[in-house]
This record gives sequence, structure tokens and C-alpha cells, in this order.
Amino acid sequence: MPDVLIADDSEFMRNLLREILEEDHNIVGEVENGVEAVEVYKEQTPDLVMMDIVMPIRDGIEATDEIKTSNPDANVIMCTSVGQEEKMKEAVKAGADGYITKPFQKPSVMEAIEDVVPS
Amino acid sequence: MKVDIQSLGTFNQLAHEGAEQATQSLAQMTGIDAVVDVTKITLLNRDDVGEELAGQDFVGVQFDFEGALDGDTVLVFESDSVGPITEALVPGGADGEMAQSSVEEIGNIMMSGFIDGWADYLGTTIEHSPPEYIEATGADVLPPAPTVADQPQVFVFKSQIEWVGESLNFYIYMLPEYDTLAELMTDHAEPGGDAIPIDKLSVFNEMTTSGTEQAAENVEMMTGIPTEAEVTQISFAPIEDVPKQVGDDTYVGTVVEFTGVPSGYLLVLFDEVSAQNVAEALMPTEPDGEGLTEQHKAAIEELGNIMTSGFVDGWANVLQTSVDHTPPQLVHDIGQAIVDPLAAQVGQHQEHSFIIESEMRTDEIEFSSEIHALPDEKELRQALAELEVDRADQTDADVEQIF
Repeated sequence: MPDVLIADDSEFMRNLLREILEEDHNIVGEVENGVEAVEVYKEQTPDLVMMDIVMPIRDGIEATDEIKTSNPDANVIMCTSVGQEEKMKEAVKAGADGYITKPFQKPSVMEAIEDVVPS
Repeated sequence: MKVDIQSLGTFNQLAHEGAEQATQSLAQMTGIDAVVDVTKITLLNRDDVGEELAGQDFVGVQFDFEGALDGDTVLVFESDSVGPITEALVPGGADGEMAQSSVEEIGNIMMSGFIDGWADYLGTTIEHSPPEYIEATGADVLPPAPTVADQPQVFVFKSQIEWVGESLNFYIYMLPEYDTLAELMTDHAEPGGDAIPIDKLSVFNEMTTSGTEQAAENVEMMTGIPTEAEVTQISFAPIEDVPKQVGDDTYVGTVVEFTGVPSGYLLVLFDEVSAQNVAEALMPTEPDGEGLTEQHKAAIEELGNIMTSGFVDGWANVLQTSVDHTPPQLVHDIGQAIVDPLAAQVGQHQEHSFIIESEMRTDEIEFSSEIHALPDEKELRQALAELEVDRADQTDADVEQIF
């Protein structure tokens, strides 16, 4: 099972993502901000990071940029409520591999993951 | 046609002073102590005018007026206040025709002062018809808003007057013909001042409607509860009146600060019952305890976050920019107490504020929600200046195309 790190400041959303993913994925960590996301990524090097954008301390785009700079092969899917074109372009520039907008349902999450980390 | 901020402020002040004049007349004739609570100018869809009156019975008077400004104006009392008013005018009370006549007369005197203030400011005369007695429930008490081809939105001046010590309100509505008001606004715009093209303000309002619909869709997708976007409007009022708009009911919701063009604050608010209902619809399991638990609050926070994005993303996409917002901060307090610090913050740089307001509700469970945005006035003006009207319907971004 692929290792997944969930980065989202919302406990509610972390729970929801965990429930969607835990059957087929190994959740290696859950963090609440971009700084923790980078730290835990470097410690665990998971196969995939599900990354929120709007988070305190450091946002998900900055964290993605740092993760991708340290490991260009890292896989990061932005998992966010933000549906702005400019933001999506910023995410691409930071190296994001996929983008899911909230609210989402399980099939769209699984499809996005399959695109980035084929089973 | 353009309107500048200063003339909007002046017109709002005129309506406010007119309402105060009317309130003084009421006090002189009846001894009723009343204060003008809020006066605001609102741009909204014709069909939404008077939505806030829903479910209540009113009596009052209506006038047509014409001259430098054409349109209708209405003064309405909540039905329960008619007894005390007629009792004050006709000792021993009155009913039937006498009660109607007393309402007409008091309405006539109150509203003459209201209309005269406009005529004096404009340096002209505004003729008005004799008062027509009206009696109806909800928005039906108001005359149909003026129609203009290709212009689904109307400007409405509304004052809410509160009877001190009683839970009764009076309302004054002025529904001017769009063209004559727009001409007046243009005439009073300062050359080279802070003018906003009126058509862009209307387009922005339509974008906001689209944002509200997206927020409602997000609620429906997350909770499975069919949710409809209701009223969307953009109002203009003095900063000190902004907290009063939200009222003194208790709300649960989220506040975010958004940055970009425009910047400002955005609130997603639920009454307590709605908050509990919608949060439970989101939860995969039964809540741990009674009332608003930490689980409820976490669900509300995330819902507020997603609704906020649904609301502002459209602005960003049309304006081809990005609007960032802070993580949502949970609020649980009286409406005015929630808005007070935000209005104070916005008020450091401006005397008046635009207030963008939306509502959504569902019939399935008790659920209603309000979204209020307080944008920085200068940045909203800049955003409107940059707004390409042709792009107004491009509120959605295509993820597939970018990734």
C-alpha cells in the first residue's frame, strides 16, 4: 500500500480523507500546517502527500515548493477548497502533480491518486 | 453612467436624515420614542426587494413621486404597532376607517419630510401623490420595483426604524426609477473622483450571485441537503451602521480575512439551530454530546472554509487574479459583536462600506446561512475598474486544462 501524508489544518477534513484512504493506503502522518508537512515528509518520505492550500504558518503551495525542491520525485496532490485559476497555476509552478477541489467524493480522490501514483 | 463614493454617501445621508425627520414627526404626534437603526442603499435583483419582510403583516402608506427623481416610496408599520399608534392619535382608540385614516395621515406627515429633504438637496421640487393606504403580508406590501429593459437589478433605499423599548419596527423604502437615479448619481459624481460605472457594480453583483450558488452547491454536495441560493445584494452604508445589519441574533460561523484585489473580511454565519443541523449532516457518526460539540465546530469550520472559497473564487477567476484568505476562525456570538471588530478594522481607512450579502436556505431541515463580505472600498473600486464585463461569466476554473 502506498504511504500517504495528509496535510490539512481542518481536523474534520483530515478525518474525512483518512476514512477515504485508509482502506488502500498507509497513512504515515497527519499534519496541520505547511511547516509540519515539510518536516514529516523529510522524515517519512511517503509516496504521496495530500496537501491543503490554505493553512496557518506556511501554506500548502510554499510547502509543496519546498518538498519538490528537496525531492523532485515527490508526489503531491493539492486537496483544497480554492478553485482559482491563478492559484492552480501557482500550484503547478510549485510542482504539484494533481489538484482536487473540495468538496470531493471518494471516486474523484481515488481517480486523482491513480493519475499520480498508479497502482 | 457612473456613481462616485461621495455621492453614494451623500444620497445615503439624505435618506437617513429623511428617515430621522419622519421619526421626529412620529414622536411629535404620538409620543412614540423611535430611532433610525439603519439606512442603506442596496443594489439587488428586482424579485428580491422586501425579502426581509417575509412572514410579517404590515400596514402603511405608499406615495408616487416625480420630478428630479421618479419612483415610489413606502412607509410600513408592523401590524401590531397600529393599535398603539392610533391610540396615541385618537384617544380611546380607533378601528375601521378611522384607524386607516390615522395611519394615512401620520404616514403623510412622516413621509413629506422624507421627500422634502431630497427636493431641498437637489434644489428642485419633487411632486408626490396623496398617500395610498396599504395593507399586506411580507414583500407584497411594497409596490413592484421599477422595471428597465435589460436591467434586472434595482437600487433601493431602506431605513429601519426601531421603536425604543418595543420589539416593533417601521420601515421606509424608496424605490426610484433606475434611469433618473443613475442620472442624478452621474450628475453628482465629482469629475476625476472615485467613480464606479454602475453597470460594473451590477455585473459584480451577478458574479456574487454566482458565488453564492457555488457556495450553496458545495453545501449540498457535502451534506446531501438540497440548498438554494436566495438573496444576493450589494449595499452601501456608513461604517457605524454595518454591525447593525447583522442584528442581535446569536450566530455560529467563520470569519476569514481575504487579501488581494479586493481585500477585506468574509463571514459565513449560521443561526445556532442551523449550525447544529448542518454540522450533523456532515458528520459521519453521531456527535459525542449535546449542543454544539467540538465535532460540530470542526465541521462548521471546514464548511465555512469551503463556502468561502466557493464565494470568492469566482471573483478571482473573472478578475484573472488570486484572492487569498486566512484559515477560517470559528465565531459564536451575537451578530453585532462578531461584526464590530471587523467594521472597526475596515473603518480605519473609510467612512462608508460596501457590504455584500447573500443568503441560502433549504426546506428539508431548519437551515439557513448568510454570507457577508466587507471589502476594502478602494480595492473594490480598483477591482471594478479592472473588471472586464465580457468575462463576467467565467467564474469557474478548469482544473483539467491546467493539470
